[in-house]
Amino acid sequence: MLLEAYASAKQDEIHTDVLLQARQACYKARDAFYSCLEKHSDKKPTEIGSVGLLYPTECKPSREDYVKNCRVSWVKHFDRQYCKTKRTQRLLDDKETRRGV
Amino acid sequence: MPIYRFIFFSAKHRFAHASNLLPRFGSSKRIQSCGYTKSAKNNYYKKPTGHPVVNVETQASHSSGAYFIPPILLGFGGLLAFLHYNDERRAVKIGKDSYTGSDTAVAPIIGGPFTLVNSENQIVNEQDFLGNWVLLYFGYTSSPDIGPDQVRIMAKVIDTLEAKKNLKVLPVFVTIDPQRDTPAQLRAYLKEFDPRIVGLGGPVSAVRQMAQEYRVYFKKVEEEGDDYLVESSHSMYLIDPKMKVVRCFGVEYNAEQLSKEILKELKKHQVNA
Repeated sequence: MLLEAYASAKQDEIHTDVLLQARQACYKARDAFYSCLEKHSDKKPTEIGSVGLLYPTECKPSREDYVKNCRVSWVKHFDRQYCKTKRTQRLLDDKETRRGV
Repeated sequence: MPIYRFIFFSAKHRFAHASNLLPRFGSSKRIQSCGYTKSAKNNYYKKPTGHPVVNVETQASHSSGAYFIPPILLGFGGLLAFLHYNDERRAVKIGKDSYTGSDTAVAPIIGGPFTLVNSENQIVNEQDFLGNWVLLYFGYTSSPDIGPDQVRIMAKVIDTLEAKKNLKVLPVFVTIDPQRDTPAQLRAYLKEFDPRIVGLGGPVSAVRQMAQEYRVYFKKVEEEGDDYLVESSHSMYLIDPKMKVVRCFGVEYNAEQLSKEILKELKKHQVNA
């Protein structure tokens, strides 16, 4: 009874974009994009990615590559994580300028 | 008018006699309450513009106030006695043996029966795992980073334990995203990590029931049609051959620490059995 109810759902399609190769490609594109961000961190960010991540126009091609290789929810997840680490980094580095606060 | 005078006078009296009233803290209350009850009966209606507060104060001898002392003292004494009795009851007496009954099962009993479909489309329930140590992980194939990491750690731990210590632990991956993780999907996904990992899925109700029994939290987030992430607690459960949950490991364990801890639990279990 359980099996028939379950078998009625579509069974044969496999989401290949979460398997190993797709994951590796996504991680690579993501790392390329973030290193581009680091490299051009002195430029003014004009483009806007997802969840409020800003990036300069120089990184636009790597951004497109990144978005193409990863799922939208993954892009959002990684961007949010990146913003969080950047923020904590900024808090940690700012110790000299904000004494006593 | 008379009311105004009464309030004014009582206020004046209160301030004037504040120093007197403070040590006899209880008695001041009694005076005021007496003022409203006792002397109200006696004097208030006879002399409305008079000074009921003065009358009350002259009457505030201990006889009228004394009615309140014994009950209050008795009540306080009773409370102290009850607390003392409670302490004695709860304390473990010196020299007595180990506090029987509640040193083992202090946590809620996690785990229970379940019926799911494995990646070969067969129905599986918990009876099939009796007699094996099981390392159970609740995850989903569309996890961006934590899921793959955890499954990789699980595969490495199984390898380490089998190769070095010759201990067989069965890895099981239960999907908390059964709508997208069909048996074929599970098979393809887990094959890339380790062929020994058993993938379990099934109808949403069956998965939800099992997750409830194992106290696993999971929730769909970032939903955009068919594309969503599932937030969950990402923990692994170590289950003994009698299908009892022995230990729960979070994401902070890496492969070496995990295999060391599992080894410890296995050794402990062999000593007890």
